[in-house]
Amino acid sequence: MSILKITPERCTGCLRCELACSYMQTGEYQPAKSVIRVSPFEGHTSYAPYTCVQCAEGWCMTACPVGAITINAAGAKDVVDDRCVGCKLCTIACPYGTMFYDPDTRKAFKCNLCGGDPACAHACPTAAITYEDVATSDWLADFAAERTQRLLVGV
Amino acid sequence: MLTKRAMTTATPPLPGAYAGKLLRVDLSKKKCWAEPWSPADMRDYLGGAGLGAIILYRETATRGGKGNVAWDHPDNRLVLATGPLAGLPVWGTGALTVVTIGAMTNGPTSTQANGFFGTNLKYCGYDAIVIQGQSKDWVYLYINDDVLELRDAKSLIGLDTWEMQDALNRETGLSGHQLSVYGIGPAGENLVRFAAIHGDYGHVASKNGVGAVMGKKKLKAVAIVKGTRALKAADYRGTVQAADDIAHDLRTDPSAKSLYEYGTLPGVVNLGKLGALPIKNYTTNVPYDDLTNWEAPKLREGFDHRGHQCNACGMHHCHMQVIRGGDFKGSIVDEPEYEGWSGAGWAIGARDKEGVSWLNTQLDRACVDVNEWGWLCGWVMECQERGLITEKQLGFRLQWGDIKGSDRLLQMVNRRQGFGDVLAEGVKRAAEKLGGAAKDAAIYTMQGCSPRGHDHRARWEEMLDTCTSSTGTLESGVPVHVTELGLPARINPFAGEEVAMMVAGIRGRRHFEDSIGICIFTGRTRLENLCRALNAATGWNYTVDESMRFGRRVAAIFRATRLRCGIGPDLEKPSVRYGSTPHDGPAKGQAIGAQWAKMIDLWYEKVGYDRKTGKPSPKTLKDLGLDWLAKDLWGRKA
Amino acid sequence: MARRHLIIGGGTAGMNAIRTIREEEAERSEIMLVSAEKPYSRMVLPYYLDRSISESHVFTATAAVLAEWGAKTHLGRRATNLDTKASVCTLDDGTRLEYDDCLIATGSSAVKAPVPGAELPGVHSFWTLDQCRALIADVKPGGHVVMVGAGFISFTILNSILSLGAKLTIVEIAPRILPRMIDDTGASLVEDWLTRHGVTIRTDARLNKIEDAKGKKRLKFAKGGDLTCDAVIMATGIRTNLEWLKGSGIRVNQGVVVDDHLRSNVANVYAAGDVAEGPDRLSKSGVVHAIEPTAQEHGRVVGANMAGRGVGYAGSLVMNIVEVCHLDVASFGAWDDGKAEATVGVKRDRHAYRKLLWTDDRLSGAIILGPSSDIWTTNDVGMLKGLVQSQVPLARFKAYLKTNPFDIKPAFIAVKTAGRLLPETVLGRPAKAPGETPVAV
Repeated sequence: MSILKITPERCTGCLRCELACSYMQTGEYQPAKSVIRVSPFEGHTSYAPYTCVQCAEGWCMTACPVGAITINAAGAKDVVDDRCVGCKLCTIACPYGTMFYDPDTRKAFKCNLCGGDPACAHACPTAAITYEDVATSDWLADFAAERTQRLLVGV
Repeated sequence: MLTKRAMTTATPPLPGAYAGKLLRVDLSKKKCWAEPWSPADMRDYLGGAGLGAIILYRETATRGGKGNVAWDHPDNRLVLATGPLAGLPVWGTGALTVVTIGAMTNGPTSTQANGFFGTNLKYCGYDAIVIQGQSKDWVYLYINDDVLELRDAKSLIGLDTWEMQDALNRETGLSGHQLSVYGIGPAGENLVRFAAIHGDYGHVASKNGVGAVMGKKKLKAVAIVKGTRALKAADYRGTVQAADDIAHDLRTDPSAKSLYEYGTLPGVVNLGKLGALPIKNYTTNVPYDDLTNWEAPKLREGFDHRGHQCNACGMHHCHMQVIRGGDFKGSIVDEPEYEGWSGAGWAIGARDKEGVSWLNTQLDRACVDVNEWGWLCGWVMECQERGLITEKQLGFRLQWGDIKGSDRLLQMVNRRQGFGDVLAEGVKRAAEKLGGAAKDAAIYTMQGCSPRGHDHRARWEEMLDTCTSSTGTLESGVPVHVTELGLPARINPFAGEEVAMMVAGIRGRRHFEDSIGICIFTGRTRLENLCRALNAATGWNYTVDESMRFGRRVAAIFRATRLRCGIGPDLEKPSVRYGSTPHDGPAKGQAIGAQWAKMIDLWYEKVGYDRKTGKPSPKTLKDLGLDWLAKDLWGRKA
Repeated sequence: MARRHLIIGGGTAGMNAIRTIREEEAERSEIMLVSAEKPYSRMVLPYYLDRSISESHVFTATAAVLAEWGAKTHLGRRATNLDTKASVCTLDDGTRLEYDDCLIATGSSAVKAPVPGAELPGVHSFWTLDQCRALIADVKPGGHVVMVGAGFISFTILNSILSLGAKLTIVEIAPRILPRMIDDTGASLVEDWLTRHGVTIRTDARLNKIEDAKGKKRLKFAKGGDLTCDAVIMATGIRTNLEWLKGSGIRVNQGVVVDDHLRSNVANVYAAGDVAEGPDRLSKSGVVHAIEPTAQEHGRVVGANMAGRGVGYAGSLVMNIVEVCHLDVASFGAWDDGKAEATVGVKRDRHAYRKLLWTDDRLSGAIILGPSSDIWTTNDVGMLKGLVQSQVPLARFKAYLKTNPFDIKPAFIAVKTAGRLLPETVLGRPAKAPGETPVAV
């Protein structure tokens, strides 16, 4: 299965992925509804996008009381809007913080890999986000560990 | 409503890409309100510079349109405008254009910055902020969707622009681009005339003392939470396609490729080779350091550098860096632009790159214009060397290239301490105060605005442009893809007539770029591409021709305001030093002064303005569809 | 002969157990399901109450699905006796079911406060589908509803009552709302938010009596004025359904005491969900959480064990989330540990609140509040869960979070929480999608 591989060293924090993602999710540009979100590190010198790792457990999927989260053709955990009632259980079950809730539609939403053609990977001007057939991983950890050293100075 | 229009029964739909509302702020009355603007006005004024120009023209007149309010008057408007492309996936669309009556020329200004201002503002639901009045106490404007508040800024006073953003991040519990903050540091608070508006750690709308205007209004900052609203594009695929084509152009076209790779860094060597690198206050054009040490890759690799891009931008332009060694080891700074390497470097004779980089961010933090700093600090250094400013007068000895001394001077200026109070007025006013040889050594335009960080004695088109400008800075900008406009690809840079034809010929493009909400660097593609992006986003059908006409309309409106401010054609010339002839280097002996009168005359003829009064001629205005302005400027004669 | 599994209870735990047995078993077994009601999800009843979903949406397994799963159903029946020696369960109609192993997942019931008038018509509980239907009939636009008890259950239906156009008053015996879900500070923020949204809240209100008053209900309190309303909802607590196990020899404390394989003291009897006193993820001691995610995990673990997989359970984590008028309120783990070191952050202008509870440099509990539209809230909700669940040492980030309790994300990422979480699965293998369960052929 292909997944979103993040190479954080390449990210410049331009947030173009958020725009592309929100368009795919909502049909409009609305970064508030993007399911990929860019975080700053170390006094705003460093950025990296963060999104669903498509974990094996699928905490969101197993938690859903009405079976509204399933696995789509691309292998991504995906919310079936018609089934989702908006109870938010998935948002607390997901330990990665990558389940979202849309107050306008009253549905949960998440990264579904755009069904196999992820918009964020297309949009990224620096190839920090690529769509590859590799095992999922904690892509940001080492980068973030290094790039937060300074953040902690003066705590 | 900006302009009165006949009411029609059908309201045209909101064009794509617009938020649809202006945010009005009256600091005197402590009121904020949203005001819709019409699709017809959007089409006519677009946003950014165009929107700002018409607001300024309509709202700052005095004496029935014969006069204008001064920069420090409560009725001065401070327009912080985005454009239709702001917040879209087109590269470099963080989009902040500041339009106001500026403190340097006391005339109109249009000056651009990026970061995430425009993005955050539009996703809160506003296309621009229009600020009027003056607050009694220091406040900052907080915007979070519908939450619009003028908050007490007491705790922020005295903080520099970076500290302020840190403080506001902490206060709101937000980080990164979740909060965009633009505001002023100590220099703006103390009404330093060349104070700029800085934000988002390293971005700046620097020209014509816009930071002093903010300071006068006692508005410390504008803090915008990334809003939760949506923006539509009329044609999503078309917008992305145009954006990708622009990106392709920027990556591959020779005129933009180096910008794509290194931002403005290659300017140091390139301009150095032309004799246009301003060295030690224009006293020489022979570099005092081996230029190969200043090549872009070396400037970048010398630091631990990290991308710090504006909205949706793929350029390797804006960067943060960590200083690896020297006195400032470990400091996080904004990578200097070319203008930083010149204003905080070559113009003041510095060769310590870590030091220049550090000083550049000190200027950013203080909120002063780096160009004016170069002219001011370089002038002080030269004057000290020549005994025109004594050690006693200044309080210490400041020699060429002294970074820490320069910072000491900065802190004096920021707080208007001692001689710093004189210098805080900018080099023009300081030099005029001292008079004599000191006056003749200062670099400025007679209008009062700072030239940007070149030696324009080897870049005549920019000197002509800066001097004739109605925006307090370069108005027509750098020639980009000029053949698209039917202009020659190359000219003799020292042939006055060719230069004047070029400057007049490209007039309008910059105003268009500054109105659609794109960075002047990512706008370095063919106008056709910019029009395509605009059309896909909005659903309009702007052509290249219309975009140029649009820009010239905006230029005419700015000029009308400028004339109302009492800035006539008599002031369209360089200071003695600025207009002098290089005595060494690649442009040695090229005397712009000898060709100046001829250049100005030809420029006036080509732009269709009246040489005597400076007004756009009735014919020019009518051709531009500005009959109403013709009536205002020429009365019955029109 | 095929192995015979008996599932007693058709709620979340029971349904997950059946699915998991089918997913895991090597040989096809016989599954019997005893359930007093048709299987449905209590979690979604509030959405049926406000009619945002149809009634059919609440069912977790229709007759057709149960048939696909090959479950022999005894619906509408209750188990009345468990003979653990003979491995026989007797139902209320006298049916005797022999089993090889059995799951007790009989859940819990709503309890009304014992005041006079609590059993009058128009005084509702909100727990079962039938109770939900009855309430739907009684909540009318413009009507006045009084909810007795300001706990989690009340709050799950608060939005529904309001969206039906009724006026709402909440009365609570305790000095504040949500006493078992968030702390005092959080409660005061929620109370303030609800008041702004037109909900009347009366705390310290001891209900003495409910009377009929000309087609309406009148509530009388120990002090303060009466309340008159059209419908009363008593959300005053729940009780586990364990009475029927008396004499079965199953060890019961707060719930059925189970080991880390969710097995009771009788080797072939498991318990799951609200009736099970299973291991707590953090303390490892036995607790009754009575929450949906625990029932789900319990059910799957029992299902795997019944299928012979031998799966140990890491323990369940207390977590709750409720949204009231677009304000999210969530808590995790030992959020109410008064002895733990706590870090608190309040942003009143954002209506945002964070409380972090520490054990050394690990998070043992958390409370989070923020508007649903605050785009940064949701991320933090999940990440706080991840920090509590993974028990990752925050090390140098403890000091950072103590000064910046709202900036969870860099800490979460930099301490490599995701890396710790990734290998973890409840059943030791990737979860299957709801439709992937093997069906009878």
